[in-house]
Amino acid sequence: MSSRLLSGVATLALFAGAATAQDLKFAPGADARFDWASYEAFAAAHDLAGEQITVFGPWLGPDQELVESVLAYFAAATGADVRYTGSDSFEQQIVVDLEAGSAPNIAVFPQPGLAADMAARGFLTPLGEDAEAWMTEAYAAGPSWVALGVYAGADGSDAFYAFPYKADVKSLVWYSPENFEDAGYEVPQTMEELKALTDQIVADGETPWCIGLGSGGATGWPATDWVEDLLLRTQTPDVYDGWVTNEIAFDDPRIVGAIEEFGWFARNDAYVAGGAGVVASTDFRDSPKGLFDSPPQCYMHRQASFIPAFFPEGTEVGVDVDFFYFPAYAEKDLGSPVLGAGTLFTITKDSPAAHALIDFLQTPIAHEVWMAQGGFLTPYSAANPDVYANDVLKGLGEILTNATTFRFDGSDLMPGGVGAGSFWTGMVDYAGGKPAADVAAEIQASWDALK
Amino acid sequence: MDNIAGSKSGLSWAVQISTLLIVLLWLFPTVGLLVSSFRTADQISASGWWAALFPQEQNEVIRLADPDEARVPDGAMFVVSGNLFDGAERQITAWGTSSRRIAEFAPGETAELGEGETLTIEASGDYVWRGTDDQLSGRAQRSFVTVVSQPEFTLANYDNMLFDPGNSEGMARAFFNTLTVTIPATVIPIVIAAFAAYALAWMQFPGRALLIACVVGLLVVPLQLALIPLLRLHLGIGIGKGYLGVWLAHTGFGLPLAIYLLRNYMASLPRDIIENAKVDGATDFQIFTRIILPLSFPALASFAIFQFLWTWNDLLVAKVFLIDATGDTTVMTNQIVELLGTRGGNWEILATAAFVSIAVPLAVFFAMQRYLVRGLLAGSVK
Repeated sequence: MSSRLLSGVATLALFAGAATAQDLKFAPGADARFDWASYEAFAAAHDLAGEQITVFGPWLGPDQELVESVLAYFAAATGADVRYTGSDSFEQQIVVDLEAGSAPNIAVFPQPGLAADMAARGFLTPLGEDAEAWMTEAYAAGPSWVALGVYAGADGSDAFYAFPYKADVKSLVWYSPENFEDAGYEVPQTMEELKALTDQIVADGETPWCIGLGSGGATGWPATDWVEDLLLRTQTPDVYDGWVTNEIAFDDPRIVGAIEEFGWFARNDAYVAGGAGVVASTDFRDSPKGLFDSPPQCYMHRQASFIPAFFPEGTEVGVDVDFFYFPAYAEKDLGSPVLGAGTLFTITKDSPAAHALIDFLQTPIAHEVWMAQGGFLTPYSAANPDVYANDVLKGLGEILTNATTFRFDGSDLMPGGVGAGSFWTGMVDYAGGKPAADVAAEIQASWDALK
Repeated sequence: MDNIAGSKSGLSWAVQISTLLIVLLWLFPTVGLLVSSFRTADQISASGWWAALFPQEQNEVIRLADPDEARVPDGAMFVVSGNLFDGAERQITAWGTSSRRIAEFAPGETAELGEGETLTIEASGDYVWRGTDDQLSGRAQRSFVTVVSQPEFTLANYDNMLFDPGNSEGMARAFFNTLTVTIPATVIPIVIAAFAAYALAWMQFPGRALLIACVVGLLVVPLQLALIPLLRLHLGIGIGKGYLGVWLAHTGFGLPLAIYLLRNYMASLPRDIIENAKVDGATDFQIFTRIILPLSFPALASFAIFQFLWTWNDLLVAKVFLIDATGDTTVMTNQIVELLGTRGGNWEILATAAFVSIAVPLAVFFAMQRYLVRGLLAGSVK
């Protein structure tokens, strides 16, 4: 009886698997905005019938459905059996799998720092010079994207190991346009105006910012984004690049200055909803909800492009809430720097199908399918921006393609012990009232200890 | 005598009351979790679960109906009318039209929105919004209402988790997979440990004491230490990731405690019985199966409960030894983690999942509970 039940469940699962492979979100050839020619050409060039390819990444839940909908096109074009699994503890699990030798074909790293570690230990397969040359040409600010995927291998020589696909823009401030209208505020164009607006809101008896650093074991990371964004707005990109590689020490006055800029916003009781004391303990997923309270707890929230997933149910982005670019200082003439993040596709177990999947990511259709469903931004300029699911995403995409300076999230580039360790805890200490210079010195000491 | 009896009853009252208090304190978080599992994500982030049980005054922002669809001509003007709560029974105590003045008007009053545009909201939530063609188009007006709302609970979380087509199939599969992992992972260590425990308790052989010391020593080895070497061994000898691997891993990690617990229990059985049996010519195997096993049943059952609960709740061992990149094998705990989403903010799912996954261990516990109490004393009294 129970074995019959089990096999019933197994067949059911089998059918369900087959069904998702067949169900393409957009019928090929139907919508003229999509680049179907690239899909047809890819399908004609690749036949992988009967091959299985496994993909392991950090996406779960709704995001998992989205990535599977893109992979379904690869499966339909080549006949390969594509399996995606996600994990919330990707960073730990991929290390165990690579060390033990049970790696998937493709691993999707959210952090270049970790991918570089794995490449240095010889676990990754180079993607080849064609992919590198393609990305230099096709991505906006191409060389800076390529640089994210070039690491030293086990033999010490540099090669292109990781393919950046799917980006997040971090330099954004979210606000409610109607609350701004009610109070008569204008969207600030420069950092000076943003600071003046902050003071203005306080003078009106309201609270300007919602800031929350809480994130379970990763508490503190939202503050690292603030510091990175502010460093790009107070110093040249060279300083930023030197900082993430530790050529410029963490306790350099220029870095301490950026931390203190963050303190200007977050350590002032009048500027933050609930007071500066609750910044470190408020969960980052809950903090944007203050924008939508009645009366509003705060007027602005600085967070990356993924945050609408945590807005209250029924919130319509573009109507109830909108974003503006976290502005730069007018007086400093540093252009309009953009801080971002993204995920990197790497080959962890070599097979022809794995290389074919990397080729697939170089077709416009692989980008457009996800763009049209939301939650996805791409610097690939040949992907049609008209397919973005809404105008807000299109606006975000334009920020990415128009950036004069694009820099990847610095804490993801630093070694794990700093970027996912002492930097986070240091920022929690700083938000709690510790002097910036002391915090920076401690982080530098932890970095020295890793060398 | 009266005196002594009186003080005794006073003491037992004190004991009973403090036991009750401890039980209540102990259950407090579980009750909170249970209440939260019947609330929506927005409710959970807006107020604590203790507030969910009583009527509450809340401030809400509600958008009127889309004027481009709902407006009707009224002379030279247009009118949009409807109910803010879609007919639900709620009482407005104050309302406003600006985020700066959310309690500007009393129910029934009419707000002037400028240039002849007006809005009236009644206590029941019925509203009439009147204005010109230009004013009643595009984005709908927001209303800020102060309402007293009754406690509200929903079964949507359970519905989503157990019956939503996207989740239920995965949950059902994970449920059977978990049973496939758990039952052998409970039975195998008990079988091995029972034999080992008998040998260590009643058979004389050189090095027995040293062997017992080794088993006790293994109790303190953290299993995290063994993950990568063990997985490498499994891959090397061709087991790979799968059920066999996870059974072996659970067996290995569970054995030291099982052997230790059962040996102590068996060693405490009366020596006379075993010696009598030996005199009557019974072999060790006969003594084990006919005498020791039936007598050790409480200890076996209590270890079975422990091992079942551990393997049922386990996520780490399953992730390392079972769940491979094809995603065919998943367990309940992993399925629940997946439901939490990429950035894990879905508290309502977490609370609901806790109660769904608790069901089977609870059933096992109550079915075997009387052995657990006896078995907990295993080895402590003769």
